[in-house]
Amino acid sequence: MAAESSVAVVLKTIEFSETSLIVTLFTRDFGQVTAIAKGARRPKSSFEGSLDLLAVCRVVLIRKASDALDLLTEAKLNRRFRGADKSLTRLHGGYYLAEMLRLLTETHDPQPMLYDLTLDALSQIDGTGNAALALLGFDAIALRLLGHTPTTRTCADCGVATQLDRSVPFSPAAGGVVCGSCRISQPSVFIVRPKTLQCLERLLDNQTRLPLATASANKIDANYRDVRVLLNRYIEVILGKTPRMQSFLPARMEPSE
Amino acid sequence: MKDQEKHAGAVSNLVDQLCRLPGVGRKSAERLAFHLLRVPESEAYALADAIRRIRSDVHYCKACFNLCEDELCSICQDPQRDQTRLCVVEQPRDLMSLEQSQAFSGVYHVLLGRIAPLDGIGPDQLTIEPLVDRVRTGNFVEVIMATNPTVEGDGTALYLSNQLAEYPVQLTRLARGITAGSVLEYANREMIADALTGRQAL
Repeated sequence: MAAESSVAVVLKTIEFSETSLIVTLFTRDFGQVTAIAKGARRPKSSFEGSLDLLAVCRVVLIRKASDALDLLTEAKLNRRFRGADKSLTRLHGGYYLAEMLRLLTETHDPQPMLYDLTLDALSQIDGTGNAALALLGFDAIALRLLGHTPTTRTCADCGVATQLDRSVPFSPAAGGVVCGSCRISQPSVFIVRPKTLQCLERLLDNQTRLPLATASANKIDANYRDVRVLLNRYIEVILGKTPRMQSFLPARMEPSE
Repeated sequence: MKDQEKHAGAVSNLVDQLCRLPGVGRKSAERLAFHLLRVPESEAYALADAIRRIRSDVHYCKACFNLCEDELCSICQDPQRDQTRLCVVEQPRDLMSLEQSQAFSGVYHVLLGRIAPLDGIGPDQLTIEPLVDRVRTGNFVEVIMATNPTVEGDGTALYLSNQLAEYPVQLTRLARGITAGSVLEYANREMIADALTGRQAL
């Protein structure tokens, strides 16, 4: 099989045998890939210590046709994640990104726009950007890129238009807001304020890159907590479980330390 | 026939047990099992006894959580060691690597892991509380964070430094950057950035 090259973010590493690693990568060209990196833990390997969590590297892979693990033959470090040099908030934000990418994306399903969004989010989180806002923006845009956009203006069940000027029921299971009639048949419905929905729309609106525009960021600031809770509950339903790092997400949108 | 079956069952059981060891596949396990059948009985029993002893006699040092057979490990018992410098490592094998360098004469604290929330490992599962107690009650002037230079290792060091910030000790981290004997031309930019960040006064 011919070797293929791509850029990738490291999502998980597991030690294997004496010196090898099993690495889960989110590549720009092949989506999520799990590969074995033989001898990766040796200091003088062709991986140069680049296979660390959230490191961005250029990788060379030999993809296997069968169920066997792909073989990672080379990795050259482009950028190391430095959230742990700064604060636990930023570190946990990085962990959350890794977990979300692992849970939301599929093996060998390329998502180049999501990959670019991930790099933007990483540079916001381990740079000087607002980590809370970057994670909120990442979640919303990632959901849209992966086809999970929640409905905000029409009932997710019957399609009837909903009123934006008043609080409306939101059903994560149905996929967005629901009308009064459909609400009864939906499990775990909660009420969402108009401002929260407007913020969600702003987050979902057109953009595919971070940081968010200052105007959007200012609008979201006052409603951060409500939007965060809404997205958390929606993501839980999509994934069928609560992400481990969800409880570590920033509670407020104050400038990260 | 019955004896043969019993014998084959014992061999098969040993192969199954050996297969559970890290880095040992079925073929290697079979080779080891047949080797143990070939060697003198005393040699095979010595191995079995060594395995039994390691489980019954070896435990964690009460002070530093290194592996030892007494209440305290040899390093904690050594009066020649500098009791004012404490080096925090993830695993006993990291302690052994540092000891082999012969560059550190202080004492150690083994965390028995690193904080990895993605794997469900939190601070409570490590020996962080005894470490904080040790720093609070000891006469340390410096605590060296010698966790691995990975995101999780750095995260663990960051968490520890937050926990120990209130105590009058100097908190330091192992240096990182360009390997001695290499050249700048071939060092990647992250190595150079690390070396510049951690530069020292001459």
